[in-house]
Amino acid sequence: MTADRHDTTDAALDQWLQDAGTPQLPDALMARVLADGLAMQPAPGGAVAGRARGWFTGLKGGWQGVGGLLAATCAGFWIGLSPPDYLPQAALTLLVAEQVDETAEPVEVLAYGWVEDEGTDIDG
Amino acid sequence: MPLDQDTETDDATLLARYARGDAAATRTLTLRLTPRVFGHAFRVLGDRAEAEDVAQDAMLRLWKIAPKWEADRAQVSTWLFRVTANLCTDRLRKRRGGPALDDIAEPADPAPGAEGQLQTRARMDALTAALQTLPDRQRQAVVLRHIEGLANPEIADILDVGVEAVESLTARGKRALKAALAPQKQALGYSDDS
Repeated sequence: MTADRHDTTDAALDQWLQDAGTPQLPDALMARVLADGLAMQPAPGGAVAGRARGWFTGLKGGWQGVGGLLAATCAGFWIGLSPPDYLPQAALTLLVAEQVDETAEPVEVLAYGWVEDEGTDIDG
Repeated sequence: MPLDQDTETDDATLLARYARGDAAATRTLTLRLTPRVFGHAFRVLGDRAEAEDVAQDAMLRLWKIAPKWEADRAQVSTWLFRVTANLCTDRLRKRRGGPALDDIAEPADPAPGAEGQLQTRARMDALTAALQTLPDRQRQAVVLRHIEGLANPEIADILDVGVEAVESLTARGKRALKAALAPQKQALGYSDDS
């Protein structure tokens, strides 16, 4: 009996809560919220542009610094492709050393051959 | 379909559009979320003016965080309810003893000549007044669960408690609410059979 009475009372309460709905919303509140939102809204693309500008200006020296860095990079790249005649022989050796290494037989293969020879000697 | 009436685009997508400067997204979010925030604040605080302040403040915080919003953070509505619940808690803490019953449920514009509307108003006023008799946490949990219709895990996130605590809060809150409303049940047209 007690359980039945609680069940029906719960149903009445549930109905009461369902009827509650949303209280009438003041129009002025909606207008204020919308005005806040529009006032605080970033301009289209504004946030991204702001971040990019900040990144460049954050570099040491600003645009002039970036220009110097770019010039140095280009010069280094050109020297690598076409070393000038007046470059000392030692520097030229350093520059072409990588090409020599590329044509040489890999170290791993030589090491493998040496071990194989050693094994043959032992077996023999 | 105007974006104002858009019910399919989720809140996070609209918030991202807001952050990109889409004014239509601003309107949609305002229309969609403000009533829910205001409704929760009003049920919890029992005062329209305070509920308006809380709703505006909560939405202000949403606008502010929009450009930094991370899609995987949480649901926008969960975050917003959490902010609202905290703002309500702050206000309740500042109160000494709560509002007088006369201040609760300030009448809205009544529908002209509609007796049914008057009874609906009377029921809502009674419910709002009864809610104010609950402890703060129980009141928040009952409003979120039984009026806003949120699931217990979401309420747990909002109130920063475990799901079991939410179950306990809503069960105790509902029992207390039932007791508070019992004397007015018949007068307001509710019966045990309803």
